[in-house]
Amino acid sequence: MSKSQRDRAAARKIVEQQKAAAKRRRVTIWTSVAVVAVLVIAGLIGFGVYANQSKTTASKVVTPSVAVDSGTAFAVGTGPVTIDLYEDFMCPICHQFEIDSGATINQLVADKKVTVRYHTVAILDDSSQGTKYSTRAAGAAAEAAQEGKFTEYHDVLYANQPEENSSGLTDAKLIELGKSVGVGDTFAAAVNNKTYDPWVATVTETFAARGFNGTPTIVVNGKQLTGANGGVPSHDQLSQAVAAAAG
Amino acid sequence: METRQLSAPMTAAWPWISTVARAGLAAVFLTAGLLKVDDLAASGRAVNAYRLFSYDTAKVIGAVQPFLEIALGLLLLIGLAVRLSAAIAALLLVIFIAGIVSAWARGLQIDCGCFSKGGDLAAGRTAEYGREILRDVGFLVLAGILLVKPRTRFSLDGLLMGER
Repeated sequence: MSKSQRDRAAARKIVEQQKAAAKRRRVTIWTSVAVVAVLVIAGLIGFGVYANQSKTTASKVVTPSVAVDSGTAFAVGTGPVTIDLYEDFMCPICHQFEIDSGATINQLVADKKVTVRYHTVAILDDSSQGTKYSTRAAGAAAEAAQEGKFTEYHDVLYANQPEENSSGLTDAKLIELGKSVGVGDTFAAAVNNKTYDPWVATVTETFAARGFNGTPTIVVNGKQLTGANGGVPSHDQLSQAVAAAAG
Repeated sequence: METRQLSAPMTAAWPWISTVARAGLAAVFLTAGLLKVDDLAASGRAVNAYRLFSYDTAKVIGAVQPFLEIALGLLLLIGLAVRLSAAIAALLLVIFIAGIVSAWARGLQIDCGCFSKGGDLAAGRTAEYGREILRDVGFLVLAGILLVKPRTRFSLDGLLMGER
């Protein structure tokens, strides 16, 4: 091999290396652009889907005419002190709270000391194997409220509370429980048509917008009441808070 | 010469190690995204539980995040711009870890919502921040491997570069 042949071979090699490097750069630039584009588009899709879902839900909302607090709660009693109760029908701790404080609340209502506003939120829809029991139960309770049987239906739902992470009570069972407290065909139709289910999302939305995250959340005259270590308050603490709020 | 011979198997092994890291990280992001994408309102509430943003901002973050996670998971799965994808994954993980640390520091009792809808913990349950952070650090190591050694097998990058 002469010197000139060697030089030519070396030059060719350099050109090839440069070409390969240029190709790698090109590929890197364009794949990076593609990655950024995909992520931006994914984000926009997410936002679009969410905006669309909110609009669709909003258009389906039927607000129960008996609901108070901008149509997001059911009031029981006529006392001067307001207790806001945010409960999910699937939540076992709510059930415990009801067992512990239910009688106290009923007494306070009977004594015309408090107005209880029940907010039937659905944050545990995930815990009923896809049947969205929290929403279905709250929707059914809304129709019971329309027929003047909220307290009765609320109590019977807690008495028959399904296990968390089970599929929850069926619609048929919800209707059967309705019959046991004296609501019939109109109630059955509302449960089957899921009339108030989209409205439940509004209740949950209001709950979250107020900065609450867990159930039960108990608020006495605008002040959140918690028990020891931020837990659920006992019935004694509740009575004391009501007495303090009444002045 | 001795060291070169010793490191030769390692050089051959790296693309395989990176491939495993890529597949693992892809699975992490795909799972995290898919578990949240079916209920965007709940995902927004999980972000809101950190009490770092206004509820309106939290809702938008909660809606966008699962889609980003799924997209990033898919990008890692096909192996497109692996180094950049891994860098974005690492950035997200650092943000998640910072969020958990801040919740921990403020004594909030929340579920991190990493692989669930999150929210406040029920009374009687304690947050497992240490474990959650450790897990995220593990994922961060996977991303780190890809940042240093982005060459992987079965990647679109390799195909485009003309590697075999």
